[in-house]
Amino acid sequence: MKQFLVFIGKIVLVLLLSAFALDFIYTTVFAQSEARNKVENVINSKPQDYDVIILGTSRANNHFVSELFEKEGLKTFNYGMSGAHLFETSLMLKLMIERNWEIKNIIVETDLNLSNEKRDDGTFGRFMPFLHKSETITNHFKKEADFTELYYVPFYRYIQFDEKVGFRAWYKTLLNEPTNTLANNGYYPLGHNPKANMKNNIEKLKPLRNRYFEEIKQICKANHINLIAVTTPMCSNVKGMEYFKKVKALYPEIKEYEHVVDGDEYFSSCGHLNDKGARLYTAKIIEDLFKK
Amino acid sequence: MFFNSLSFAIFLPIVFLLYWFVFNKNKTTQNAVLIVASYYFYSCWDWRFLFLLVFSTLLDYFSAIMMENSTTDKKRKIWLWLTIGINLGFLGVFKYYDFFVQSFADLLNGFGFQTNPVLLKLILPVGISFYTFHGLSYVIDIYYKRITAERNFIDYSLFVSYFPLLVAGPIERATHLLPQVKIKRHFNFEKAKEGVYQIIWGLVKKVVIADSCATYANAVFDNYESMNSLSLMLGAVYFAFQIYGDFSGYSDIALGTSKLFGIDLLKNFNYPYFSRDIAEFWRRWHISLSSWFRDYLYIPLGGSQGGMWMKVRNTFIIFLVSGFWHGANWTFIIWGLLNAIYFLPLLLRNKNRSNMGEIEMGWNFNSVKAILNILGTFVLTTVAWIFFRANSISEAIGYIQKMVTDFHFDSQYLSNERYNFELLLLVLVFVFVEWFNRSKVEPLSGKASWIKVTLAIMALLALGVYSDYKEFIYFQF
Repeated sequence: MKQFLVFIGKIVLVLLLSAFALDFIYTTVFAQSEARNKVENVINSKPQDYDVIILGTSRANNHFVSELFEKEGLKTFNYGMSGAHLFETSLMLKLMIERNWEIKNIIVETDLNLSNEKRDDGTFGRFMPFLHKSETITNHFKKEADFTELYYVPFYRYIQFDEKVGFRAWYKTLLNEPTNTLANNGYYPLGHNPKANMKNNIEKLKPLRNRYFEEIKQICKANHINLIAVTTPMCSNVKGMEYFKKVKALYPEIKEYEHVVDGDEYFSSCGHLNDKGARLYTAKIIEDLFKK
Repeated sequence: MFFNSLSFAIFLPIVFLLYWFVFNKNKTTQNAVLIVASYYFYSCWDWRFLFLLVFSTLLDYFSAIMMENSTTDKKRKIWLWLTIGINLGFLGVFKYYDFFVQSFADLLNGFGFQTNPVLLKLILPVGISFYTFHGLSYVIDIYYKRITAERNFIDYSLFVSYFPLLVAGPIERATHLLPQVKIKRHFNFEKAKEGVYQIIWGLVKKVVIADSCATYANAVFDNYESMNSLSLMLGAVYFAFQIYGDFSGYSDIALGTSKLFGIDLLKNFNYPYFSRDIAEFWRRWHISLSSWFRDYLYIPLGGSQGGMWMKVRNTFIIFLVSGFWHGANWTFIIWGLLNAIYFLPLLLRNKNRSNMGEIEMGWNFNSVKAILNILGTFVLTTVAWIFFRANSISEAIGYIQKMVTDFHFDSQYLSNERYNFELLLLVLVFVFVEWFNRSKVEPLSGKASWIKVTLAIMALLALGVYSDYKEFIYFQF
């Protein structure tokens, strides 16, 4: 039995050493990359100057055409991320500030995402390689239920979020294989989708006095950034559009833009404009908020 | 509690320590701790089904004793059929009732009669097909006087509920397992080490191979209408490796776990994808089930004793029943039927036992022939797996039809945000590892074992699929 316990001890040792080694190798590789997604693009960046930074979910990513801002002489990047919640949006802004970015205006998409304060695992996972690198990230995640194991158990965070920062992401990062995430200054245009489901039901959603939106407001105030919070359009067949009225009641400063693009031909799906619709929407935003 | 879960990683060492350090006094204390652990293990799925397990144990235990005590053959037969009837009755209600009622209703609807069938929609108790067959083999062996009835209830309970095999086999035989639980087990370092190697390799098969293949196979099968020929072929191959890695991985973990307690379980897999014909495949795949059907169905039906017609009839019966055993769906029945059809030419030419020996390779024509036969058998089984995986027969036919008529072979981007060819290298490495270790139980033991163990652990950490947690396929049966 003693021989067996020694044998098991050696297996555990191999497991621990392997975990430490892999953790080091993965973290080192991800620390060198800034071209594969928006999270690492911010984390591994040098100080930047921007006139406009766009934040939010896919409804920011697919709706704000950076090129149209640039045409007006506004240096712009769209950091909207598909699936992200305000939990991650707030962190992205904190990281930009931590890296001494100079930002004049921030446009935050604040509509459906006001209804929850939880993390989005898909986006959250992308921050994992940098958990020990940035105090801002560590502090932001500290209240998460699984923080202890993610922070202290070597390689656990890569296992837990293997879809986003697993082996495949690692070797593609190692090979420096680019993605299209950063193309078009972060804006991702959607095409026409003839099979799209052009209806939605948001009756069950309830906007919250969202702590992460509150954080964003405080950060902007403290860093003299002009915060522009806007809603974005939905298709014509949506049940529960009263949601937007509740948003307005809760946050009068949020500007209502959910109705500015009319007609399902401008949508790729019920919650996402196609490129044509996004251009109309962005033009209206620029007209109202940057030209007047 | 799955073998690939953190809770099992905590549960197993606790049971191991209790077994060898606290309750090691005699075989009764050893068996008692394993029974408690097994009932706890089973209750982690749904504690209510524990009653079913206990009832099944009591039923088989007492009816075996009653059968043995019976003074006439007629009484013995009554006890046998009563036990079989109740056991299969439970299986029927939980697993097949809705299928039969719905199929009958569909048939009547086909003839223009409007029906409104009453479906039970019961949750299938995990492992019911396995422990039912387990118990049945015991009472049938008693009936045929192959063994004597077990009078010690603790020993018998452990035989039925032993946790490594409780939920997905191997389907044990009383002649093999009972003698082992009737004696005190002494710790054997070599056996325990072998068990640990087998557990690690089983985990690699499940977490690295099966679960990686699952993400690709699912992406192809779930969207087969928009896939081209190449993607559909790869999807079928990925599923073939998914189900192999999943089930043989489970079996390896079960066998390895059992070795830690000094108990050997029946071998369930013997590198089935290196089979040279379909008969050899069925001698190597899910061996405990195939041999169960052979011993308790094929032979009682007359086996191969009554001429060719009898042989063909009995072969079709066992393949159809085997298919149906897997699940209440026509897809499983067609899967069984296809395998019977594959088997038929071998049976008619009396060639079903021509590949009994190990594959020996060399630079000669026979080796080339063997490799081609292996590839041919793999293609046949992979086509049959399409029916096993598909949700309906029409879906399976649509899948195959598109695969052979589309004629587009460019790499497609799948819904799992991967390209369809990306996994091939890993699958090929796995095949080579298995090929060069096909004479062993697992590839980790032997020379340079620490290097191989380290590589396996690194593969588990780096290549395993964990975020999209996946159950073992055979738990649903």
